Amino acid sequence: MRTRATLSGIFASVAILVVGWQAGSAAITAVHSSSGTTGPTSASTARAASPAPTPAAPAAPAPPVAPAAPGASGGSFTGSSVSTRYGSVQVQVVVANGKITDVMALHLTDAGGRSVQISNSAAPVLRSEVLSSQSARVSTVGGATYTSDAYLTSLQSALDQAGL
Amino acid sequence: MAANTTTPRPVFPGRLREAAPDRRRQYRRRARIADILVTSLWGSGAAAAALFLATGGAAKFGTVADAVTSTGIIAGLIGTDFILVMIVLAARIPVIDRTVGHDRAIAVHRALGKPALYLLLGHALLLLTGYGLSSGINPLAEIGPLLAIPDMPLAFIGLGLLIVVVITSLVAVRRRFSYEGWHLVHLLSYCAVLVAVPHQLSVGGILSNGSIERVYWIALYVLAFGSIATYRFIEPIVSTLRHGMRVDRIENVASGVVSIHFSGRNLRSLESAGGQFFVWRFWTGRTWWHSHPISLSSVPTGSAARITVRDLGSGSGAISEVRPGTRVSFEGPYGMFTDAGRTAPKLAIVVAGIGITPVRAFLEDSRVQPGETTILLRASTMEETYLWDEIADLARKKGASLYKMVGKRALSGPGWMPQADASRGVTLQSIFPDLRDSDLYICGPTAWLDLVETDARRAGMAEHQLHTERFDW
Repeated sequence: MRTRATLSGIFASVAILVVGWQAGSAAITAVHSSSGTTGPTSASTARAASPAPTPAAPAAPAPPVAPAAPGASGGSFTGSSVSTRYGSVQVQVVVANGKITDVMALHLTDAGGRSVQISNSAAPVLRSEVLSSQSARVSTVGGATYTSDAYLTSLQSALDQAGL
Repeated sequence: MAANTTTPRPVFPGRLREAAPDRRRQYRRRARIADILVTSLWGSGAAAAALFLATGGAAKFGTVADAVTSTGIIAGLIGTDFILVMIVLAARIPVIDRTVGHDRAIAVHRALGKPALYLLLGHALLLLTGYGLSSGINPLAEIGPLLAIPDMPLAFIGLGLLIVVVITSLVAVRRRFSYEGWHLVHLLSYCAVLVAVPHQLSVGGILSNGSIERVYWIALYVLAFGSIATYRFIEPIVSTLRHGMRVDRIENVASGVVSIHFSGRNLRSLESAGGQFFVWRFWTGRTWWHSHPISLSSVPTGSAARITVRDLGSGSGAISEVRPGTRVSFEGPYGMFTDAGRTAPKLAIVVAGIGITPVRAFLEDSRVQPGETTILLRASTMEETYLWDEIADLARKKGASLYKMVGKRALSGPGWMPQADASRGVTLQSIFPDLRDSDLYICGPTAWLDLVETDARRAGMAEHQLHTERFDW
């Protein structure tokens, strides 16, 4: 009887793990395909898919959003919202005279307190690197790979709109 | 069989079947339920790990830091699941008590204690290491930033409490405490589990707001704490109030042994099977804080019940001095030392000393055929032959054979019988010729009982044929 119980226990456990794993892979595929469409190469379609900026997370630094004014000379440009498995990331870039003068995070990865902590420490680093290099081609912040990648992807789509 | 429908069923075999319940079939049914319980125990552990996989965890093993962090999260999920299972096992849920018995449930509860603690300690250490690796600082320095995350200080307190609870439950340490003192510390585990909840819901992101994972996790907590509240608190209180039991009188049975007679309302509806025990509390100023697990020593009538206790230890000494009229509260009935636990066609009983009490009630309540039962009564001295006259009466009524052995334990041969019997070559099989086809009910002091049990196993009896009730005082 004990053997039977142990065997059925093992069988049930394996079944549950496989179901969990399948559900997880489905979730990952969903995140990847949606972040794929919001990549820099197809930023315009992504913008159409998510026109309204997501409300900022409470912990993310988010000043009031100025309406985006299209044009190569200057103004504010909102990047596409990029989903990661730790939450979505969206940034807004301020351009004056063809130069990036500020980057504001409208929404940062926020799935759980740990994620918020990582976002909040990575965002200022990314902002200062972007301002000094004047592009989205900066290295990712250690320990914040997802946040960095999504941040720079969103930034690139904003820069594309600004024509930089 | 269709041709037979017009012929009347033979009456005699049918009645025989009714009178002699099919013990093996009853046992198989219980074993199936027990298997389902064990399977769900395994399954709940797997489900905890599956929660992590379901949120995309399988992809989070790419770097060393990620792998360490992910392992830490899984350890935390499984460890917490174990703790919740332990709470369920300690809740004395009727279906668990009836299928595997409270003592085996508590044995599993104990066995899970250390693994659960190790998993949760591992959870903390692995996450400190994993976070440290990813941000490039050493794990100890990672404690500061971790404590800055909301709800994390509470989680650290929970882990601290849990360490205290498990350490006080280690056998060596536990001996230094009185049962009540230890139990008070043990109740801290509820606090430990509850203060850990906020960080589970807010820090990890696996149990994020509105997810199925979160619903499942909270349901586990509701199940665990709901069963504790229902079966450890509400049900005993309601039952105590409904039956209004009081001490009726105290009768001296032998030197140091008393029977306490209770009066109460509607006691038959307790549905206590003979051989089960209750956890009693006597509400006087000196005794209310001490609970006593004691079997009934006879089947209750509508308005009266009886327990028989030996005066050893301060606790049981005090209850033999309570006045008639004292209010009594109780939890129970519990235990599988009953007719419902039977698995085999024959019945063998070995009982020593004050262990006679549950056997006395069990025998009275058991539905046995004449010739089915053999009883062996055991005592060190003639003064310790408590209730033997009552057992002899019942044995006559039930058509049971009765043997008696009086004398100190033998130093050679089967150590559980007197030297004289051991020397002339008496064995378990010579007393119970049908041993392999029997259920063996053993009740007495632990050291003695272990010897009988070993002997029975050596004689080829299966685990499910052995029914024991250990008296540790």
